[in-house]
Amino acid sequence: MIAHQLSIFLENKPGRLEKVTAVLKDKGINIRAMTLATSTAGWGILNLIVDRPQEACRHLSETGHPAVLREIVVVRMADRPGALHDMLVLLANAGINVQNAYGTVLGDGQTAILIIDVEHTEHARQLFTAAGVATLTAEEVYCV
Amino acid sequence: MYWNPHIEQADLPTLRALQAQRLRDTIAHAERSPFYGALFAKCGISTDSIRSVEDIRRLPFTTKEDLRSHFPYGFLTVDKKDTVRLHCSSGTTGNPTVIFHNRHDLDSWSNLVARSLYCAGVRDTDVFQNICGYGLFTGGLGFQYGAERLGALVIPAAAGNTTRQIRLMQDFATTAVHTIPSYLFRLHTAFAEMGLDPARDTALRLFVIGAEPHTEEQRRRIEDLFGVKAFNSYGLSEMNGPGVAFECTCQNGLHVWEDCFLTEIVHPQTLEPVVEGEVGELVFTTLDRQAMPLVRYRTRDLTRFLPGTCPCGRNHRRIDRISGRTDDMFIVKGCNIFPMQIEKILMRFAQVGTDYLILLQTRNGVDEITIQVEMQAAWFTGDLAALEKLARQIVHEVRDEILVTPTVQLVEPGSLPKSEGKAVRVRDERQA
Repeated sequence: MIAHQLSIFLENKPGRLEKVTAVLKDKGINIRAMTLATSTAGWGILNLIVDRPQEACRHLSETGHPAVLREIVVVRMADRPGALHDMLVLLANAGINVQNAYGTVLGDGQTAILIIDVEHTEHARQLFTAAGVATLTAEEVYCV
Repeated sequence: MYWNPHIEQADLPTLRALQAQRLRDTIAHAERSPFYGALFAKCGISTDSIRSVEDIRRLPFTTKEDLRSHFPYGFLTVDKKDTVRLHCSSGTTGNPTVIFHNRHDLDSWSNLVARSLYCAGVRDTDVFQNICGYGLFTGGLGFQYGAERLGALVIPAAAGNTTRQIRLMQDFATTAVHTIPSYLFRLHTAFAEMGLDPARDTALRLFVIGAEPHTEEQRRRIEDLFGVKAFNSYGLSEMNGPGVAFECTCQNGLHVWEDCFLTEIVHPQTLEPVVEGEVGELVFTTLDRQAMPLVRYRTRDLTRFLPGTCPCGRNHRRIDRISGRTDDMFIVKGCNIFPMQIEKILMRFAQVGTDYLILLQTRNGVDEITIQVEMQAAWFTGDLAALEKLARQIVHEVRDEILVTPTVQLVEPGSLPKSEGKAVRVRDERQA
């Protein structure tokens, strides 16, 4: 299964982020990773990796938060200098623009993974596979 | 086709002759009031001053301030015992303005509202749900009496309680609704929340919308949302209330009922008539009101006469929808701006909601204009770049229209302040 991140529109005002986390807490949804991308005009997008994204998206939408699931590509990072660079080169050479990328550590506390938000996820996945880099399934990502 | 065929189809010479006769009657009535009695004596005006409708320009204007300073009986031409109803404004900024009616006036007003509804296509077979405040606000009783006169089955639903409004629509198979445009958006949200589709689950076929300035784009959006035709209604409490000007089924401007309202459009500063077709301030003289006639009353509403004739066959001139009020215009960096100009642009973007707020603030001694618009959840893709592009496009198009560069803030749906009645569109937080 293809992995998804949860993207939520947020106004940059006191208490907005808390309203989102309150919904997730209430439903017992666990956050695995997050980034916050803000515009200069007072609003932004919160990107989350959670254990039950479909359910989280539905609850957020029902409580009035503009929320969507976006396909992402997740790869395991080798623990050596230049590992990130090699992966980004693969994408750059293919003309694929990276909208957002962030890392987290798997549950074993040893393995780093990279979460990449690109326009053409399928293309990116094929490139990684061809280069011998394993992409992670949804199950692997959500249980990080 | 017509409610008052001989009046609605009257040719122009007949209409102007009727106006001249009624204008003389109006002057005769008006001079019995303390206010006009003194004013006409001072200016040397009598019924003899009026030979044709053009002579209206020899008469002085009447303003809201005149109404306030001669509150409550200064404009009354008859004994109080002969009046049967009054409507008055809230008076939050001073004395309220009050309008008195005798039996004749109420009869004339009801007929005008019936004529208006009939020209928009309402018939005696319709079930007419009137969703607006009853009581001092003229939209309640005004439409109640008019729709009853027409013979429709009227539901005096009044304002608020959206769930019950929908229940009434379903229980009695409502076909026509009168309300303010911003309420229809709330109503549509409520339909969706109840899992209902108005096109499938109601018998609605016609809306009458008014009392709140709105753009053509907003009307189209309402029509698309409900799959129902929406007709523009114009009136003001000083001219009875609803039934002053109304759209016919051609939806190409509002016919002013010229047999009852002598209509002028003047430049708000010079008070001279504008060139035909140019925007200016609407000025009305009542032609069929006895208890409290008003002469050359300045409405502060801005519009223009539309050129040409209407295919509907009515010779009563058409005005464009109200483009603003002389008093809701605001000035930023030397540019005169009306909220309607901004709304018109916003409505072009399907990605934004129907609510918006224009914030005027002073930053570092400079006036800044910020427009907050609601993101439509359905258009959200999680793409920051796409949202920034949308905001930039709105900035560009608004700047082209008002000549000032605004800041555009996207806000979450439902987060803008809603008032119980009319929507709040402008908040001026500038330091004087």
